[in-house]
Order: sequence, then C-alpha cells, then structure tokens
Amino acid sequence: MEYILSILIFFPAVAAFVGFLVKSDSIRTYGIVITIIEFIISLVLWNSFDNTNPSMQFNEFIPLISAYGINYIVGVDGISLFLVIMTTFMTMIAIIGLSETKMLKNLIITVLFLEMTMIGVFLALDAIVFYLFWELSLVPMLYIIGAWGGNLRIYASIKFFIYTFTASLIMLIGMLYLGYIYYMTTGTWSFSLLDWNMLLLPFDMQLWLFVAFFIGFAVKVPMVPFHTWLPYAHGQAPTIGSVLLAAVLLKMGTYGFIRISLPLFPDASVYFMFPIAILAIIAIVYTAMLAFAQEDIKQVIAYSSISHMGVIILGIFALNVEGIGGSIFLMISHGIVSGALFMLVGVLYDRRKTKMISEFGGIAKVMPIYATIFAIMLMASVGLPLTIGFVGEFLSLLGFFKVSPILTGIAGLTIILGAVYMLVMYKKTFFGPLTNSKNEKLEEVKGKELFALVPLVALVVVLGVYPKPILEPVDKSVTHLVEIMEIKAQKEISSIQIISSNTIGEKK
Amino acid sequence: MEKFLYIALFAPLIGSLVTALFAMKPKLLFTGIFTSFMLAVSMIASLNLLNHIYTTGESVHVKLMDWIVIGNIDIPFGFVVDSVSVTMMVVVTIVSTMVHIHSIGYMKHDKSFNRFFSYLSAFVFSMMILVMSDNFLGLFIGWEGVGLCSWLLIGFWYHKEDKTRDTDVYNSPYSTISPHSSISPSYAANEAFIMNRVADLGMLIGIFLIYWNIGSLQYDIVFSQIDTLSSSLVIAIAIFLFIGAMGKSAQFPFNQWLANAMEGPTPVSALIHAATMVTAGVYLIIRANEIFTIVPEVGYVIACLGAFVAIFAASQALVATNIKKIIAFSTLSQLGYMFVAAGLGAYWVALFHLATHAFFKSVLFLGAGNVMHALNNEINIKNMGGLHKYMKGTSIIMIIASLALAGIFPLSGFYSKDLILEVAFGNHAYILWTILWISAGLTAFYSFRLIMYVFFGEENFKKFDYKPHETYPYVIAAMIPLVILAIIAGWFKDTFIQMTTNVLPQLEVHLDSSTVGILIVVTSAIAIASILFAIFKFKKSGMYFGESLKHRACYKLLVNQFYIPHFLEYIISKPYLAISKFAWKTIDLKIVDSIVDGIAKVVYASGKEAKTIQTSNLSTSLKTMVYGLVILLVLSVALGFLK
Repeated sequence: MEYILSILIFFPAVAAFVGFLVKSDSIRTYGIVITIIEFIISLVLWNSFDNTNPSMQFNEFIPLISAYGINYIVGVDGISLFLVIMTTFMTMIAIIGLSETKMLKNLIITVLFLEMTMIGVFLALDAIVFYLFWELSLVPMLYIIGAWGGNLRIYASIKFFIYTFTASLIMLIGMLYLGYIYYMTTGTWSFSLLDWNMLLLPFDMQLWLFVAFFIGFAVKVPMVPFHTWLPYAHGQAPTIGSVLLAAVLLKMGTYGFIRISLPLFPDASVYFMFPIAILAIIAIVYTAMLAFAQEDIKQVIAYSSISHMGVIILGIFALNVEGIGGSIFLMISHGIVSGALFMLVGVLYDRRKTKMISEFGGIAKVMPIYATIFAIMLMASVGLPLTIGFVGEFLSLLGFFKVSPILTGIAGLTIILGAVYMLVMYKKTFFGPLTNSKNEKLEEVKGKELFALVPLVALVVVLGVYPKPILEPVDKSVTHLVEIMEIKAQKEISSIQIISSNTIGEKK
Repeated sequence: MEKFLYIALFAPLIGSLVTALFAMKPKLLFTGIFTSFMLAVSMIASLNLLNHIYTTGESVHVKLMDWIVIGNIDIPFGFVVDSVSVTMMVVVTIVSTMVHIHSIGYMKHDKSFNRFFSYLSAFVFSMMILVMSDNFLGLFIGWEGVGLCSWLLIGFWYHKEDKTRDTDVYNSPYSTISPHSSISPSYAANEAFIMNRVADLGMLIGIFLIYWNIGSLQYDIVFSQIDTLSSSLVIAIAIFLFIGAMGKSAQFPFNQWLANAMEGPTPVSALIHAATMVTAGVYLIIRANEIFTIVPEVGYVIACLGAFVAIFAASQALVATNIKKIIAFSTLSQLGYMFVAAGLGAYWVALFHLATHAFFKSVLFLGAGNVMHALNNEINIKNMGGLHKYMKGTSIIMIIASLALAGIFPLSGFYSKDLILEVAFGNHAYILWTILWISAGLTAFYSFRLIMYVFFGEENFKKFDYKPHETYPYVIAAMIPLVILAIIAGWFKDTFIQMTTNVLPQLEVHLDSSTVGILIVVTSAIAIASILFAIFKFKKSGMYFGESLKHRACYKLLVNQFYIPHFLEYIISKPYLAISKFAWKTIDLKIVDSIVDGIAKVVYASGKEAKTIQTSNLSTSLKTMVYGLVILLVLSVALGFLK
C-alpha cells in the first residue's frame, strides 16, 4: 500500500518498455491486460482510501535534487482520486475499443506512456515533478496525432504542441519564481505544493503569479480565446487520441486551477473571479454557437467540449463547496461522456470513412443499438437528470448563482444551446428517411465496440442515480480547500467574498 | 402504505425496462399486455393510497436514499403522497392504463410496437416521480424525464422526411388546415424539447433562488420558511417557477410546441399532450401554493395569461381542419382555464378541472385516433363525414366527451368549468370572467363543429376510397372507464373538496346563491347556444365558413397560428444559424485563429530573416556589424540630445 501511487504512475511506463519485446500480433491483448491491471490498481487505491480524511493520503517522498528542494512527492486526496480512476478507466476503455490497425504496437506503447504522464500530473505534489509530467504528456499526444491523424495531422499536432508548450513555459517561470520566493522567505528551497501552501503571498505578487499559471492552464482547458488548437487536434486525431484528449488531457487545466491557483493565490482568485467567469460564459455561449454551425459530427463534439469546460471553470470560480465540488464531478462526467461520444463517432468513421453530417441521415433504422447508445450519451451531454451529466452541471451553476445570479442566468443558456446543437445534429444524422444508399448496409455496433461502450452507458446511469461515492470524498477535500482559502485570504474583501459564497440565507 | 407507494411508483418502470429488452425485436403482443398490466397494478396501488388518504387524512412520506449531498446541499430521493399528489397519481395511472390498452389496438401494425410501449411506460414512471417527489429537484427529475419521453414519443416515427416549408396554407406544415401537423415528427420532437428547455432554465433559476435563500429544497422546509423572505424575493421565486410551468404547460409564448407535437402517435397525444404531462405546470403551481399565496400579484398575472391563452387557443381551433390540432388547441385553452383558477388562489378548483379534463380530453383524443385509423390516417375533418353510421361506439363516446368539454350539466366539465367562472367572478375579475365566458362558447362551438364534420353530413371519405370500420371491441372497452369518469367525476365534488382542503387552502369566494344560479344559467346558456348553432348551421349549409371569409386577414391569421411558427423559423432559428455560421467562419477561423497563426508566422519570419547573421560568411557578418554600429551610434547621439 505504501508505494501504490508510484506503482500506479510507473506501471504503465514499465509495461510500455516491456511492450517493445511483445510480438506485434499479441500487443493488443497485452495492452488490454496492462490497462485492466492498472484500472484494478486504481480501484484498490479507492478501496483503501479514507473517505473521512480530507488531506493528502498515501504520500511518498523521494529526494531528487535536495539542494534546490526538488523532490518526488506524490499524494492523493478526494479531488485527485476520481480523476486518476477516470484516467485509468478511460484508457482501458479506449484500448479495448481500439480499431486502429496501422502500427498498432507503437500506438499502444505510446498510449501506455501517455497514461503514465496523465496519472503523474494528477498525483504529483511537487511543482517541478508536476511540470515534468505536464509537459511529457504532450509528447505521446503529438505522436498520436502526427502519426495516426487525418490529412492535416502535421499542422494540427505542431499547433497543439507549440501552443500548449509555450503557455506551459510561462507557467514554469511562475513556478521558478515561487520557488525563489520560498527561498527568500524561509532560506531553503522548496517546490513542494504542500510547503508552498504555507506561504502567505502579498497581493501584487499573487496577481502576477496567478496570471502566469492562468496562461498555462487556460490554454490547456482550453478557454476562449485560447481554444483554436483544439478543433484541429480533435479533427485530425484518431479516435483514441480524441478520447484521451477530451476525457483526460483537458481536465489537467481545470485540475491545475483547483490544485494550485485556488489555494496558493486566494486573493488573486477572488480578484479575478469575475473576469474569468466572463471568459467562461463567453466560452459557454460562443462555442455552443460554433458547435451548432459545424458540418462534421466530431467537430460538434469538440466544440461542445469547450463549452462544457466553460461550465467547469465557472463552478471552480464560484469558490464555494457546491461549485468546486460540482466542477470536479463535471470533470469526471465530461470525461466519460465526451470520451464515449468520440468513440461513437469513431465507430461511424470506421464504417464510412467520413464524419460529415450531410453524408448521413436516417441511420437509426439500420443501427438501432448504436442510435440508442448515442442518444443516451447525448442526453448525458445535455445534462438530463439521472444521467451523470446533470449532477455536475447543476452543482456548478448552483454554486456560481450565489456569486452572480445574472451571469449564471447567461451561463444557464448552456442547457438550451447544448440541447440545440446536439439534438439538431442527432436529427440530421439519425432521423429522417435513409437517403444515402451507402448507409443502407451499415453494420450495427458489435464485439469490442460494444464491450467498450456498454460500461460507459452503465456508468452514465449508475453515477447519475447514485453520485454519492464520488461526491462524498470530494465534499471533504473541497470543504478543506475552501477553509484553507478563507484562512489564507489576506485582504478582507477576499475573505468576505469566500464566506459569502458559502453562506445560505437572504442577503439583507 | 409505503409498500403501495413503491408499487405505484416502480411498477411502470419495471414494465418499461422489461419491454425495452425486446425493443428491437419484431412485434410481441406480450409487451403491450405486460406494460398494461404493470400500469393496472400501479393504478390499484394508487387507488389504495387514495382510499387511505381519504379515510385517515394522513400523508405518506418516505425517503428512499440520498441523491446529491455536498456542502450544504442535501437532496434525497424522497416521496410524499398527500391528497394533491394522490389525485394526480390516480388520474395519471387511470388514464395511462386505458391508453396502454387502447394502444395495443392502435399500434397493432406498427413495426416498433415493443419500443412504443417501453417509451410509454417510461413516461408514466417519470410522471409519477414528478408528482410524488418531496422536493423541487426530485420534481425536476420527473420534469425532464417526461420531456425526454415526450421527445422520444413525438419523434416516434422518426423515419418520416421533412416537409417543405410551403407557403400555400392548404399544404404548409405551419397551417392548421393542411394535413401536416409540423415539418416532421423529429422536428416537432426537437422543437418540444428545446422550447421546454428554455422554460426549464427559468425553473432552475427558481430552484437556485430557493436553495440559496432557504438552504433546502424539501417542500415542507421551503413552505414553512417562505414567509421569512422579503416579498420581492418571493415574487422572483414565484415568477421563475411559473416560467418553468409555462414551458411544460405550453402557455404563451411557449405554446407552439404543443400543436406541433401532434405529429406523434395519437395515444401519445391523449396521454402526454392532453391528460398528464401538459398539466404538470398546473400541478407545480398547486404544489407550491404556499409560495404563490404570499404574492397574489404574481397569481393575478398568471390568471391573466391563462385567460389570454384560453381565448387565444380556442380561436385557433375554430377554423382548423386538422382533427388532432383542434383537440390540441382545446387542451391549450383548458390549461388556460386551470391557470386562471390557480392564479386566483383557487388551487383545488384547478386540480379538480385538471382531473375532469384529463378524463374527457384523453377519451376525445383516443376517439380521434379511432377515426383516423378507420380512414387510413386521414387527418382533415372535411374529408370525413357521416361516420356515425359506421362507428357508433366511437361516435357516442366522442359526443359525450365533447358535451363534458363544453360544460353541459350533469357531466364533469360542468362542475369544474363553472367553478372556475365562479371564482373569476367572485374575485371581481370581471374581464377575466368575460373572456372565459366567451371561450366557453367558442369551446362548445368548435367541439361540435368537429363532431358534425366527422360523424354527420355527407360521406366525403368516399372520394378517397376509405373503408371505415369500427375499431376492436377491447379498444372501445378501454375508453369506457374514461368516458364514465368524464360523466360522473363531477358528482364527487364535495368529497374532493373535503379531501384536498386538508392540504390546499379553502376557496375564498363568497357569492350568494342567486348570483351563482345566474352565473350557471348564463354559462350554460352560451354553451348550449353554441352547440345548437354548430348543429343547425351544419344541417343547413353543411359547412361553417364561406369562401368570402377565407380571404380575410383574420382567417389567415388563425389558420397560420398567428404566424408564430413563421416567427420561430424566420426570427429565431434562421438568424441563430446565420450568426453561428458567421461566428465560426469569420470570428473564429478568420480572426481568433489567424491571430494565433499570425504570431507563429511573425516568430518564424523573424527567425528566417535573422538567419543571415549566422551564415558564417565574412562579408555579410561585417556588413551587419557596420549596420549595428551605425544604429548604436545614432541611438546614443539621439539619447544624448534628449538628455
């Protein structure tokens, strides 16, 4: 149990190295077995996780460069626990449903490396280690898009890499500066987030540091106007790339906000509450419109991701337990739902080699099971109660309502505009007469596709009806986080805002 | 009693899930029978609960499990059965059981028979959650659940293609005299879902307001603390909840989806778009009466809107020839009546009319379904006629239901509708009373216009080679309980008052008996006069509106549904698509993305230019050195001068 987090992080990487020795025709089975084992390890972690303890558990500490306070520190709390489980789960599902045949061995090894970096980001508690995993995650994804992508794959992958990499460098500067400040205040170097949490930073400094981290996170999320890499990346990436990109990689940005920005810069977080909320609302409404204008099914889902990420950001900057907790839940649910939607588009693409809406129409008749699964995911995506999508969306909006009813009213357009683009796309693709003769012989979903999709459908319903297993630990850790923010806030206005965000009762 | 509560709630779900297993299989009669049986079980359990509540007066309250618990919020799956919800449960289960049985006949030849029953039972389950929940978010589950089932069922025949948006009123999907109820079933389904979502946003905001000011969403806690809030806040809560109610009950301006929803199979229209789902808005107002009683001004607005919808919808029914749309407009109009009662604080009257309306309106729709089936899905009443001879059972049932709808003594509509008029008069809302009185006349007229065109007069269907036949006996048998209830439900008024006033406020209307007598006579007079006019006019000329009228603006206005579909298409849908395309092609690709690429290009170009410095060619290096020196010199001289 002691080393479970390190096992969780490095098992896929070790397995990836071993994978080079595995024969090409059995690599698929190998990949599935490894990801299943990894998923089971994460379940073991959940099983031994103490729900009542809000702080970091299973901590590990290995000195790396002691002179500069850079150490390998990992730990897990209620906020990161389910992101890790979601990552192992979605990687497993993505590998099970994998339909790619070109250079399969390379692809699976790449995905295993990617899994290591993703889990590493969620578990690292040292800024430099966090940064290492953060940047390393770009490399496998660059390779996945660049090698297995569509026609524009080189442009898309380079754009994805340079855009996010440049932004992360600014974040790195912020990290180095924070380490330096820590040195100036205490006389020793440290990059541990736990140590940094003890720092009380002056307001001006918080502002600058917040901005530096914000740029790194905002490009990753992505927030409007830093989102233009995403449609290209999704549009060109193979199915497995899109699934992991939407399900996990985007969550790194929002996770960063919760793990780093909020507790380290509470005053700046309050200060930037409204500007960021406005950006989030622009993202929600504007990208919902963009999604409506798309002619390609995959692009509709890509833009809808940006729109939903806006709701997550909004929930985070509500700075109350309901909002932050809701946004964490929404990260999980969006990971599952958007991952499933991208897989569904992949199923269609495998059959017809096109994703254009105009090529389809009336295919509910030839693929009823597929249409049903798609409809369930669609309803989860538009946030129908008793599906997984509702809980997070409801809580995020509820949380921000306390901060600003009017802005929440505008952000609430997501439930209308989301229904508009999804239902219109669904109607054009699945309903109406079957006009295109190429679609008459479309094959129903089968075998491994069903194997991958059915667990997702089950989760969508189960966690929609009974979200408690996730909400309980999240509640504990988020309450703890909000308490820390309240204590650390230096300006009176900040602590008043945080308290008022968390109080019930009529404002007199 | 908890046992009955769970049986009543979950029996429809079991029916739906079991049937769903066969959804993609060829027709199995078993699915229809099984779901009907489960519904009957649910009905019996509900009747048991009704008996329990009537005899003991206690409500049943259970908590199944936690749902959303985080921070201060704690929302369970809790259910409460009191006299209000039990009334709804009984109405819902009775109507749905009968509609299920009717559907076995109606959907007999449909290849998606099993899927239909799965959806229909899922709808009943959602409706039961809606009425039984003990908190606002639980109600919202049912609220969205019925919306989903409505989407599935309106778009049930999803394979139909989109009709062209013809401008000719006899063929346009926007007009009420064309054979098309909407552009296509899937279009109507999306329209209904999206329009409801607009209203749902209002409702969610109402829920947010309640939560942040009271700290709970449980009915009992909210209602006991609502009077501690300032009145402006309560007004806001009431308005936002009412916006939600407007969507589900298709009140203006969210009315258009209901008429277009007639694209769905007729039993669906009977169950969802007449008897149950559309009354959910009224139910919400009744349920939250503690909130609305504090702010009578909001109630008055609700009543005014209700009266407006009553006459607005009734007027459209006058000229329509689409049999389902006539009944749909009539539903809309009757919902308006219910909102008048609820808005004026007569909650049990609204509930009473809701119940009686559910019986006579569902049977009217089912009758229309029989007629359409007999005539190869003909939908234009002018292509029918003389069917009484061929379909005696359906004809008699529909005439009785229409009489009940018109409010003729001693049928159920008489009791409930007259009460609403009394309430309006007693509240000194004379204008509202006048509007409702006129609407009562219109209602009687269009109902009998439909009856005359369909069952009497010339047999116009012969031109189309239709061979009408009465439907299966069990289908008629399923309609009989409903028609009996449509006759007798009004007689239980006193029992109903006694039961519901446990929970709902007493009626605050004090009219002396002579005034009440006069009101009854006046209202009955206009209804009877309109019926007689409809009959004699038809007997005399065989039609109602002469050719000269057809070119008048008012006729065109009514036929085109006040141009609301056009408004939605040309003012909302099309511009939204155009703006979205513009946002994508111009703002996103040309501006935002070009800036990003532009920055990259600048970096790339400057690197390319600066490359010359590093070519290790001696003369270029010297040249650049000289340029550099000159620039530095100039700069230092310039700086020196500035200082």
